[in-house]
Amino acid sequence: MPKSNGPDPNESIEDFIVRRFEENFQRLRFENGHGLAPEVKEAAKRQVLLYWRRLREVAETITDTEVRLSLPGQVTSKKRKFNIEGVVDIVREEGRTVMYDLKTHDPEYIRENLGEYEAQLNVYAHIWQNLRKQELNETAVIATRPSDALDAAWINRDRNASALEDELERWNPVIPIPFDTRHVQDTIEKFANTVDRIEDGVYIPPPPSHLSKKEIRDETFATRVCRNCDVRFSCLSFREYLKTYRPKELPKFRDIYEDAGAEQDREARIDAGLET
Amino acid sequence: MSDVVPALEELWEAAEFDPNDQQKRAIQYVGRPLFLTAGPGSGKTRVLLWRTVHLIVHKEVKPEEIFLSTFTEKAALQLKEGLTALLGLVTARTGNYFDLTKMYIGTLHSLCQRVIADRRFSPDRQRPKAPLLIDELSQYLHLRDRNWRAILSELGWKNANQEINEFFAGRASVSRHHAVSSCISLFNRFSEESLDPPRLRTRTSDPTLLRLIELYEKYRESLRQAKPPVTDFALLQQEALRTLEDLDRRVGASRAGSIFKHVIIDEYQDTNTIQERLIFKLASGHKQVCVVGDDDQALYRFRGATVENLVRFPERCRTYLGTHPEVVPLNVNYRSRKRIVSFYSDFISRCDWRKNGKSKLYYRVMKELEAKRKDSRVSVIASGRDHPDVACAEIARLVKRIIEAGKVADPNQIAFLYPSLKSVQVGRMAGALEAEGLKVYAPRAHTFLEVDEAVGMLGVVMHVFGKPERGGYGGRDYANFFDWVDEAFSGAKALFSTDAALERFVSDRRKETRLVVNDYQALLKVSEREGWAMSQPYDPDAMKRPLLGADGLSRRAKRTFLSAYVEGLVRNRARTQRPFTLTYMILRATSLDWNILDLFYRICGFRHFRKMFEQAERVKKDEGPVCNLSLLSQYIGRFIDEYNASVLSAGFLADDRLQQTFFASYLYALFRRGESEYEDAEDPFPRGRIPFLTIHQAKGLEFPVVVLGNPRKNGWGPQRVEEIVYPLLPRRGGEPLDRMAEFDVMRMFYVALSRAKNLLVIAHYSGQGQSINEPFSSMLDDDFPRIIEFELETLPEPEDADAELPKTYSYTGDFLLYKRCPRQYMAFRKYGFVPSRSQTMFFGSLIHETIDDLHQHLIDKRGRNAQEQRA
Repeated sequence: MPKSNGPDPNESIEDFIVRRFEENFQRLRFENGHGLAPEVKEAAKRQVLLYWRRLREVAETITDTEVRLSLPGQVTSKKRKFNIEGVVDIVREEGRTVMYDLKTHDPEYIRENLGEYEAQLNVYAHIWQNLRKQELNETAVIATRPSDALDAAWINRDRNASALEDELERWNPVIPIPFDTRHVQDTIEKFANTVDRIEDGVYIPPPPSHLSKKEIRDETFATRVCRNCDVRFSCLSFREYLKTYRPKELPKFRDIYEDAGAEQDREARIDAGLET
Repeated sequence: MSDVVPALEELWEAAEFDPNDQQKRAIQYVGRPLFLTAGPGSGKTRVLLWRTVHLIVHKEVKPEEIFLSTFTEKAALQLKEGLTALLGLVTARTGNYFDLTKMYIGTLHSLCQRVIADRRFSPDRQRPKAPLLIDELSQYLHLRDRNWRAILSELGWKNANQEINEFFAGRASVSRHHAVSSCISLFNRFSEESLDPPRLRTRTSDPTLLRLIELYEKYRESLRQAKPPVTDFALLQQEALRTLEDLDRRVGASRAGSIFKHVIIDEYQDTNTIQERLIFKLASGHKQVCVVGDDDQALYRFRGATVENLVRFPERCRTYLGTHPEVVPLNVNYRSRKRIVSFYSDFISRCDWRKNGKSKLYYRVMKELEAKRKDSRVSVIASGRDHPDVACAEIARLVKRIIEAGKVADPNQIAFLYPSLKSVQVGRMAGALEAEGLKVYAPRAHTFLEVDEAVGMLGVVMHVFGKPERGGYGGRDYANFFDWVDEAFSGAKALFSTDAALERFVSDRRKETRLVVNDYQALLKVSEREGWAMSQPYDPDAMKRPLLGADGLSRRAKRTFLSAYVEGLVRNRARTQRPFTLTYMILRATSLDWNILDLFYRICGFRHFRKMFEQAERVKKDEGPVCNLSLLSQYIGRFIDEYNASVLSAGFLADDRLQQTFFASYLYALFRRGESEYEDAEDPFPRGRIPFLTIHQAKGLEFPVVVLGNPRKNGWGPQRVEEIVYPLLPRRGGEPLDRMAEFDVMRMFYVALSRAKNLLVIAHYSGQGQSINEPFSSMLDDDFPRIIEFELETLPEPEDADAELPKTYSYTGDFLLYKRCPRQYMAFRKYGFVPSRSQTMFFGSLIHETIDDLHQHLIDKRGRNAQEQRA
């Protein structure tokens, strides 16, 4: 049963990626009980391949992958003991150390909410420098979601290879994060308060007005977050939001059929689940 | 900051740990194998934690050279978090960082999976692939639903159910459930004892047993042939052992036993034969094996555990390692008040543990427990010796007084423990507590399906897909199940009468299912008329038009055939030589946009269920209902996995197939399997409710107040599976068959009694048909303290849980998730609801894992290149 799938010396990196991607997909499919729509699966594979093509220098210099950073010994104002944990990738090269946080988020969202990411990476940087006593020169987020233009160029790569090259060149997934650990204590304090709220069991959703806020482009919190949340139907905030801000959608909300999304979404769902 | 490694004593002080001499020895001893016999509440988890810290920090053992196994994943997680925190103390002083990611820490099962896939155990240092592990429910469904009939017909075994049930239970019932359940417990024992079919055949001439051995062989084959290949818990360990033996055989030396410098096994009393072999194999090189456990708390014989592994550990060390262990008893109890410790020590010693009643050999490790808490006021009390109704009412009043007096921080600090939650005493006690206005949490009493939330939700679901009809079969389980169906169905009707929107919603969904079934039948008719084979490729040019003309075809079905998106997919598949079949297209056109889990979440939006969420969102809360809903989502998610039901097509809905598979097959299986499904007790228990647990669920836990709700356990005599397996075993000399049940019952009650911190209450039932086990009946004599004379003020005040190990919170998985939406956090992270549309999560994990694999691959490659250059 256990079959060997060790390195074939002649296998190219892209072949390796495709093979591993497929293996991971099969395993996750088994664990999740469903697959991904073919287009979504392709998009995922594309992200990994494009990451490799565009950021080869980074990928090849990663010295520590999925490093688990831990900040132990924290205490909340209600005397709860806790540790903070995060996962990063590290590049150490020629005396320079860079810390990367890999995200599949939209880079636009990251650029517009830089503060959020700054706070996070600065805590990680603090752990790295002050606890682990390691050098650190730079921190950055890698946002692997390609631009629409790049996606299109990839799909047409056989017909127009230079367009892909151009778009790859234009695509900048590395977002440097200003690195300043002076505000780390603030973030840790906020973190501690959150721990207390979690442990006290305060689980009140954000108010309807928050749901109507635009986050990026024209997408509101309700579209970005609630729309993918299965418990929205039992959520008072979401109901109030519909009543106040989207009265026309309210009747649809009661109906599964209408809420299943656009035709493409519905078909994609079937693609992911119905066996051929 | 200094480079000097802080001494252990300095670290103890920093962590506010004040170990006793035994604990110190257990932490620091290095040399021979180490045998820690740990009484209840003796701080063994802390000892293991500090022993590991000591090895890493002072003995310079690398984390990846340590193999540390625990009984549950939760225990492993706690140890890992504790290690992170304690090693963090060292890092803060010296700047040395310790990376625990490569350390082996988990249950034996999960560590076996790692062994199989670990390069270090592969002769060519490549990464082999481990088969996927299925749990007990999947194992059952795998055999019952997917392979039973096929295997039996392959073996040509007629009337197999009757013959098997006759063999196991002495009754020739036709129940497939009973036959399959019995077979699984036998197969697991075979696997755990490493009894291979060829060897087994030489040890019996019983014709039924010989056929069962054939069945076992076929079962194993069916696991290997599943896609992807799977393995069960018991066979996984065999596989791991084989990996180790193969390595040694292929390299021609003992390498497998040298990879871990230290092998540490917690809860050793609950290990089985194959695990023992694995453990000694792993420790064969360095001989540094440390086992910790308490034979008095052995609970898992029914799962193949052999307590002799612990009791006879010194002899086994001699046999396997040629050395004897250092024995360190951990006898000081930090948990319970003095009289509780005395009570259970007295209890366990009232059984005759001597071999043959006179020899100096004992089936037990003798120990003298000592209570650290010196408060010797009354802490063990019994109800009056009374009829159960009276005794339960008395206990319920006491519980109410305890809560009102603020002697516990929450009702969930009072645990009611039972040998089985199916006893009538459970209902009585729950009724008595409810009569006092108290709420209980007992999802596993009777079966999970019988809790209000499950009855309510599944009743509504039944109105969508139709109510399964009672067939003409006999059997008590069957009758009970259909009583449940009736109750759920009429319960939903009652809900409709108070919520017209819900009724309308359900009736719309029902119409929708009818619509797709009609479409399906109309499309089949066209195919038949045209003479198309269902398996032939879908050819849009020839087929689209006739299909669109199907009689009464709905707009929604037409849309599929007209969709440009679908058309694109069809062309694409045809180009890649994997065309869609006609069947596929028809099913696609007649699939619902929602599955049962989507339906579940929609129904949660209606008043009756929505309130359950609202109760959990506030600070003063009742978490019981939402916990039950979450469990229900897990069961539904499980159904979708097992039966491939993420899309409900008309193929599923026609001929009541869904009704059959979901209700009559799947839910019926859950109903009959009863409480055995979820073993890990939720912790902490829902606030606002009094937990009712089986004693097995309470293993490893402690509560300020414990009520032993039924000091009676019937069913003497060995289990049938033991009777069958016993003569097949090569090694005998363990506990004799005729004493096993007696020993097991003593140990089980011992576990229950030793869970209590401040107060232990024992229900003392008497009257017609009522009795309690010995030695309880002798111990609860006329002088025994009773509830009626108990002075509540002597009960200690509730303490803060600040002695607990710190918890780890992930920056993204906890902090950011909570910040985004606390309620979403509550549902998916805190209560473990199974999301229906987890595409985003799947997508993210897939990318992250593949990029991580890429990085790992590049790092390995660089390492190899560098090596070659050096060479």
